[in-house]
Amino acid sequence: MSQSLKPYLTAVRSSLTAAICLEDFSSQVIERHNRPEIEVDNSHNPELILNPMVIARNENEKILIEPSINSVRISIKIKQADEIEQILVHKFTRFLTSRAENFFILRRVPIKGYDISFLVTNIHTEQMLKDKLVDFIIEFMEDVDKEISEMKLFLNARARVIAEAYLTPFD
Amino acid sequence: MLQIEQNNLLIKKTFTEKVFPKDESSSKSLDRIVTDFDFTTYHLSTLNDNKDLILFSIYLKFWNDLVKYGVESYLTEKYEKFDGPVTILPKSDVEMNYNYSLVVDLSQLQGADEETKQNLIEELSFLKRHCMAAPFEKAFARYDELAQTYANSNTYSEEIQAELQKEDILTINYRGSDESIYIKPSFDRVTVIFSTLFKDETDKIFGKVFLQEFVDARKRSVQTAPQVLYSHSEPPLDIQKAVRNTGDDNKGYVTFVLFPRHLVKGDRRDNCISHIQFFRNYFHYHIKCSKAYMHSRMRFRVKEFLKILNRAKPENVDEEGKSIETKKTASGRRFDIGRV
Repeated sequence: MSQSLKPYLTAVRSSLTAAICLEDFSSQVIERHNRPEIEVDNSHNPELILNPMVIARNENEKILIEPSINSVRISIKIKQADEIEQILVHKFTRFLTSRAENFFILRRVPIKGYDISFLVTNIHTEQMLKDKLVDFIIEFMEDVDKEISEMKLFLNARARVIAEAYLTPFD
Repeated sequence: MLQIEQNNLLIKKTFTEKVFPKDESSSKSLDRIVTDFDFTTYHLSTLNDNKDLILFSIYLKFWNDLVKYGVESYLTEKYEKFDGPVTILPKSDVEMNYNYSLVVDLSQLQGADEETKQNLIEELSFLKRHCMAAPFEKAFARYDELAQTYANSNTYSEEIQAELQKEDILTINYRGSDESIYIKPSFDRVTVIFSTLFKDETDKIFGKVFLQEFVDARKRSVQTAPQVLYSHSEPPLDIQKAVRNTGDDNKGYVTFVLFPRHLVKGDRRDNCISHIQFFRNYFHYHIKCSKAYMHSRMRFRVKEFLKILNRAKPENVDEEGKSIETKKTASGRRFDIGRV
């Protein structure tokens, strides 16, 4: 693990652990409704939303944590150094979001400016262990970078083999 | 399977079945439509009155371009040696909706030896390759002429350079008007330029990576290969006047510069033609392959992520999905609540 990655992930881990502290909370506006407050337009009752937080490793890699009383929205921007990484990240996140129902906490549409978003509600924390949820997000952040760079390396290696295989028989 | 076969396997199989019949069933009538790269269609059918006669027709989208470059005489040259079993139909008798037809007479093949038969099948399955080879042959022949003419002159002089600039460009619109092959002969080289269209963004970027490697491969390991150049959306200077609707962002131009060592008459020249005309198919095939691989890889990765997420779920949950502690007796048995 590189020098700057470890403190970044440590910061994310402790911030997430603090943020995922949720309780059941019925809507104050509409009777018999119970909604993730972070997803609702909360101009009526701003007291339900806590301060959002951005943790950034650099301008290309950052995470936005938006906590509220009964839900937390976590948005991640994945490193994209060039065109190829951009397309790979795009493909990969699309692949994930189209399988969102299996992932429970994955949001189908990411927040603008980020590549992928998660939404953790009090229902999730009741059904699942909080520490393990945080573990999942941290591991996700680690693996996604690894996967993208491996795919890119693979693509280059393959292109090289293909080019040589095509050009050699000319002689 | 890095290379794509240049012949058509299905054609080969069909003829093999017919020429070497295993049992009675293979003497049945036949009507088969076979497709190939670049919108090519073949039609194999037995004639109504005689099941020993097989009509073999090909449709090519770019046939009219090929006619200009003498495809008919080239094909005649290729199939003439099988005169007898193979009859080339004159233009007026060509099957409807097809461009070129041959009739293969099986009865005349009975006495022939194994090798001739195999040879014939082989050549028939190469029909598309031969069609496409005609303009290349023509361009290479022109190269021979030019090489002769300018053998002893100062080729750096401006007049000769200007003369060479005027040399005709052979154009084959092999996939409609969007994708073409341009061939330009000169006295010391033949330039082959492919224009290709990328249907989606991913293909375009993968294509760029691949082409970059084609350009670099020559510098790195295969020094004797033709020179490869790549330009995106803007056609190279050589063919600027031959290209219509330029400036399309999804278009790429790949230039191969074939040097005299690739154009040595005989096997090497044939090999070169077969190989270069399949460039587009090879290139796009491998782009698709990489995409498929990426896809299966992502599938695997998603599975791994799911496993990690499922670790967060406690193993024992009650009906409402809330975790309950495991209750065990002293002997280690468990109370299974609400389960049979």
